[in-house]
Amino acid sequence: MITPLKALRKNRFKTALIFMSMTVSIAAIFLISAISGGVVSMYSAMLKTDGDIIVTQKGIADTFFSDINRSQMGSIAKIEGVKEVSALILGAAPVESLPIVGIYGVSENRFKSYTLTQGLSPKMGEVMLGSKIYETLKHPKSIFISKKKFGVSGVFKSKIGFEDGGVVINLEDGGVLFHKSASIFLITLSDLGKSDSLIKKINTLLPEGEAKTTDSFIDSYNQFKIIKTSSDVIGAMAFLMGILGIVSMMSMVVNDRKGEFGIMRSIGLSSRTIIVKLLSETLIIAVLAFAVAWGVSEGVLELIEHADKFQGYINGEIPFSLLCNVFVVSVTMALLGTLLPAIYAARIDPMSLIQRGGA
Amino acid sequence: MNIIGSALEHYYGQEHILRGIDIEIKAGSFTAIIGESGSGKTTLLSILSTLLNPTIGSVQFDGKTISELGNIDTFRRHNIGFVFQFHYLISYLTLRENVALAALDENLINPLLAELGIDSLAKRYSDEVSGGERQRAAIARALINRPKVVFADEPTGNLDSKNALGVYELFKRFSAEGTGFVVASHDKKLAEYADTIIEMEDGIVKSIYQR
Ligand SMILES: Nc1ncnc2c1ncn2[C@@H]1O[C@H](COP(=O)(O)OP(=O)(O)O)[C@@H](O)[C@H]1O
Ligand SMILES: [Mg+2]
Repeated sequence: MITPLKALRKNRFKTALIFMSMTVSIAAIFLISAISGGVVSMYSAMLKTDGDIIVTQKGIADTFFSDINRSQMGSIAKIEGVKEVSALILGAAPVESLPIVGIYGVSENRFKSYTLTQGLSPKMGEVMLGSKIYETLKHPKSIFISKKKFGVSGVFKSKIGFEDGGVVINLEDGGVLFHKSASIFLITLSDLGKSDSLIKKINTLLPEGEAKTTDSFIDSYNQFKIIKTSSDVIGAMAFLMGILGIVSMMSMVVNDRKGEFGIMRSIGLSSRTIIVKLLSETLIIAVLAFAVAWGVSEGVLELIEHADKFQGYINGEIPFSLLCNVFVVSVTMALLGTLLPAIYAARIDPMSLIQRGGA
Repeated sequence: MNIIGSALEHYYGQEHILRGIDIEIKAGSFTAIIGESGSGKTTLLSILSTLLNPTIGSVQFDGKTISELGNIDTFRRHNIGFVFQFHYLISYLTLRENVALAALDENLINPLLAELGIDSLAKRYSDEVSGGERQRAAIARALINRPKVVFADEPTGNLDSKNALGVYELFKRFSAEGTGFVVASHDKKLAEYADTIIEMEDGIVKSIYQR
């Protein structure tokens, strides 16, 4: 343990470069995963609020394009085992000076799922604002959504960034704004075990709709897959960049320290000893870089979360599972990046020590 | 350990450098390989010390060829010490740690450093001691596992004549205790300390002199 630390300190300039390149790569992986994960988990949380089953228009790629007939709510509510049905219109529109804001038209029975901090839930022609957008717009009495004026009836607080930075209106008002009847139905059940048979019943009742458990909807939702795939691709590139950075720096380090490895070979230290030595040096850097990248990422996420510019819509967090995954990725990055230079170091011929002697 | 080189020839590319050498290094002897620069001393020493394979011919260690020695690292670690013209001390380790890197038995380090007169410098780094002291530390590293033979190529090449003689004295002292030394140098003074003197000229052994 002491020896690798001494070696790192001795070569501090290159150690610092390796450390920085690893930190940047690891932070990039943290941020892209946390942010994309945040988008997915916020939207999922929204759908899961009072929604065991979700009904969308059949074969739709994005809930924003979904259009189903809200008058069907009543017949679904009558199915045995259904506790409650609510309808939502998911839309986005300019609000005052903000170019894009999430607008949620909801059926009246859904107002209770928003925690009001002041005022009342909206009547027709009124809105309820998330606390974040309420602050951003500096406590307005009324707002314009597109070109239509709405009075502000109340303010609610939500942990879900899309909601806290969004506007809730009545389903009917939403229908006028977005020219549709409803985007989705969210259904709560009295007995979750019966969800399969209920889904079948709903699907026969609504041939143009498609019912799924909210969990399976989230798993198969294409938009989430796109977000996840892009984040994986960017993460993989950051990983490769990290490896390349380590390989090039470690090759220089090995070159600087040729004499050291040559003498180790002449003493009779095995190739493996030399490889392990170099690996342990980069592993130490990797653990440090991981810790710093974690801290930096938390800081950046905090900044983004509170930046008015992002309206609270970008709300990444680093759950324990991501932390573990990225730790494994960091260690792998260090090992893969060091392996080739280390093998090269272990093969340095002690003859090179003699030949340098000349005479 | 008896080392026998038979019919050794060596080429670097097309160049015929060693041109037929038969040689025996007796166990525990202090052998000097002397000769003009370019005569092939380093090449011969490298071949006798397992670092270089001869193009033609073979080397036997107590009757075993290199391929019969088993793991070459282990063999070197237990039987052979090296001293080079440059000390090759690792700069981020103290003198003691440099020796410890090679040591199979760490208990032997302090007595050895004392014997070499550098025990008071054990905690210093190589850039904090003199050239002669550095070379002594390198010699300590070569001797720490009580090798049967130490190979040294131009070990005094970077030292002034006073320190050079000090190094030869040390070799002679340890040789008297049973360690073999094979030392290549163009410094003729070396011959005064050795018990066997091999004179090289143009890739062949010109003369062998036993004291
Ligand atoms: N790696 C090498 N490649 C090509 N020629 C070499 C190499 N090493 C040594 N030589 C040549 O071999 C000859 C003998 O070299 P060397 O064994 O180092 O002699 P010495 O140690 O007596 O000076 C010299 O002419 C030298 O230029
Ligand atoms: Mg030479």
